[in-house]
Amino acid sequence: MTRNVLNLGLRLFLVCVVAAVGLGFTYSVVKNRIAEQERKQRAEAAEAVLASIEAMPQEDPDLVSSLQGDFPDLTGAFEGLDGSGETIGYAFVLKSKGYNFITMAVGVDARGRVTGIKVVTNEETPGLGAAAAEKPEFLGQFEGRGPEPLALGENVDGVSSATYTSRGITNGVNMALEIWRYLSERS
Amino acid sequence: MEKERTLWGEFIKGFITTNPLLVLMVGLCSSLAISTKVENCIFMGLAVIFVLTCSNIIISLIRNFIPDQIRIPIFIVVIASFVTIVDLTLKTVPAVYERLGVWIPLIVVNCIILARAEGYASSAKLMHAMMDGLGIGLGYTCVLLIMSVFRELFGTGKIVIFKRTIISLGTSKMPVILILFPGAFITFALFSALLQWYQQRRKPGTREG
Repeated sequence: MTRNVLNLGLRLFLVCVVAAVGLGFTYSVVKNRIAEQERKQRAEAAEAVLASIEAMPQEDPDLVSSLQGDFPDLTGAFEGLDGSGETIGYAFVLKSKGYNFITMAVGVDARGRVTGIKVVTNEETPGLGAAAAEKPEFLGQFEGRGPEPLALGENVDGVSSATYTSRGITNGVNMALEIWRYLSERS
Repeated sequence: MEKERTLWGEFIKGFITTNPLLVLMVGLCSSLAISTKVENCIFMGLAVIFVLTCSNIIISLIRNFIPDQIRIPIFIVVIASFVTIVDLTLKTVPAVYERLGVWIPLIVVNCIILARAEGYASSAKLMHAMMDGLGIGLGYTCVLLIMSVFRELFGTGKIVIFKRTIISLGTSKMPVILILFPGAFITFALFSALLQWYQQRRKPGTREG
């Protein structure tokens, strides 16, 4: 009986070891590639949302890690620099819950107004939520708003048949504004 | 079933006679969920073909090493490893991963793969297991593609692959229900019924309960 258990355990163990080695190898091959892709994706989004104030985004890993304790859904933070290297805005890349997760970038200028938003990835229902997440009329209305929190249905027009997505995106913008307020109080 | 199993026969059976979706009716959950876009289905199909073929090969290779009592955990470890490899590899292609991300890990629990490991590969020769994996995987992909073409075309009015519109019906006033969950069941039932009808017509006289 004991020998049987040992035998079974040993075989299972062997299979697991082989699997673990294989996975470890794969991971070591693609690890840098993945990080690079994610970084590129974030940077492109940050650039897009800061374009209206002509600020160059510069990723600040320290800023992200100092904020992530209070804002766990934040995945990237950029300082928007003007020609002379002065910070004239921020871009935040964050996750918000719509029907599923929406990853979006929100640009905020020095006075706490939204300079632009961009949905980086969304897992919303195709044709409904996903269509809303790409709708310029909906996304465009956030520009110039803030720093007061926005409320869907009061001062934000949602997209019909995409209430969850509209709410998710509004919440994402509010989160960015909240981070901005937090930052301006801290400095 | 006493016929000698030819490699070609093992390959081709996955399309009609033992089509995983329409006949065996396994692995439905992910297929119902992702068949909203043709693009998703192409990658999901490729991922499933890869995982299924690899796990079939490995399980067939080590079938004499696997004790009966712990075969399921070993199958799962093998399958999960390949799924993780696919998952990591796809992460380097963000355009694809953003659409499929949620569903890739779920290939682990896609019953097709475990069912083939348990019911076929663990007692088949290497080449047979490989052909079975390819055939079943392709059969799965075909059905997925047919379903998604139908749903995307008639649910959204156009088919978009890699941001290029392939076919457009020129209107967006389409029954949006097709791309929602009820549409998945309706489409699936429709194609399943079609296949049954086709098979019954092919061999008259045989009626299945």
